[in-house]
Amino acid sequence: MRAFANEQLMGAVLVSLTPEELSRKIKEARVKQGQDPDPTAPKPAQPANAATAKAMRAATELVAALMVGGFLGYWLDTWLNTRPLFMILLFFAGFAAGFLNIYRAQTGQEFKVGMGELKDKDDTKTGEKEQ
Amino acid sequence: MAHSPLEQFVIKPIIPLHVAGYDISFTQSAAWMLVAVVVATALMTLTMRSRALVPGRWQNLSEMLYEFIGGMVNDTLHEEGKKYFPLVFSLFMIVLMGNLLGMLPYSFTYTSHIIVTGALALLVFALSTIVGFARHGLHFFSLFLPKGLPVLMMPLIVVIEVISYLSRPLSLSVRLFANMTAGHTMLKVFAGFSVGLIAAGTATGFLSVIPVIVNIALIGLELMIAFIQAYVFAILTCIYLKDAIELH
Repeated sequence: MRAFANEQLMGAVLVSLTPEELSRKIKEARVKQGQDPDPTAPKPAQPANAATAKAMRAATELVAALMVGGFLGYWLDTWLNTRPLFMILLFFAGFAAGFLNIYRAQTGQEFKVGMGELKDKDDTKTGEKEQ
Repeated sequence: MAHSPLEQFVIKPIIPLHVAGYDISFTQSAAWMLVAVVVATALMTLTMRSRALVPGRWQNLSEMLYEFIGGMVNDTLHEEGKKYFPLVFSLFMIVLMGNLLGMLPYSFTYTSHIIVTGALALLVFALSTIVGFARHGLHFFSLFLPKGLPVLMMPLIVVIEVISYLSRPLSLSVRLFANMTAGHTMLKVFAGFSVGLIAAGTATGFLSVIPVIVNIALIGLELMIAFIQAYVFAILTCIYLKDAIELH
């Protein structure tokens, strides 16, 4: 008889809740039991793996641009017989390109070429999500 | 030379084959590529055979791989991405299999050869350039010309942007190749320390345990790098294609 009364009581509590209240209660209970992450806790900026992947890219981006710059300069020099003018010029341009690549990779700009877009905050955000 | 840490990278022909002066032998590198294709195909087809609504362990594995790349392609390329999903997934699997199968003892890591990674990177580079020109025609060149650029800065920035663009295939291939080669060489070097310590006498023989412990940790690191490098290769493929398709 008592068990029956309890059931009735529980039923009454459930009925008195609106669906919104119920879903909020379930959410709270899930967080309390550790089934869901705490929404108030600060979220990690990005998964650790993505951060490692970003870091691993930096070095090769710089070296690759340097090599391309140097090689292009060397090839132009051999062709135009101006050694070592273009090799020196394009080596430094490669240096700049390398840093540009790193900067874009780290800010989530990727190769979205265009300085004008750097100011576009929404663009930066979607870029970061891709990482 | 037999015990050099670099000896593991030597290409050995299994079936020697010479046609019109070209050496097209079937090498152990090619053999492991074949193994990778077979393993990847088997993994994706056999595990999905039951088509269970509630997936088992194996089905879960292939669904995770599929959704990982599917999500990545969808996030970067959106609706357009569906066309490129097979390419990105195949590239991801061939790189991942190359890296992971290379971790097996006595196996060969074909991703440790720049000719292999270079060919894959050039495929991505050529495809993204072709897609860019096919969709935008000569307007694709505006990729090198940032919006709102002062005329005075143009020659400098265009040169830098062109170098930046041309460095894509190089950085894509060198990154994968260098990581794989360095990791495998490091494992061999530490294993070599153990052998050297045992050879030096019984007293130092006990110390040979230390490089083994280091190697265990390194193998864990290498497994992580194997996955991350495949991930980086796939996401960069997506990003390069995105540039070619969207071209602001």
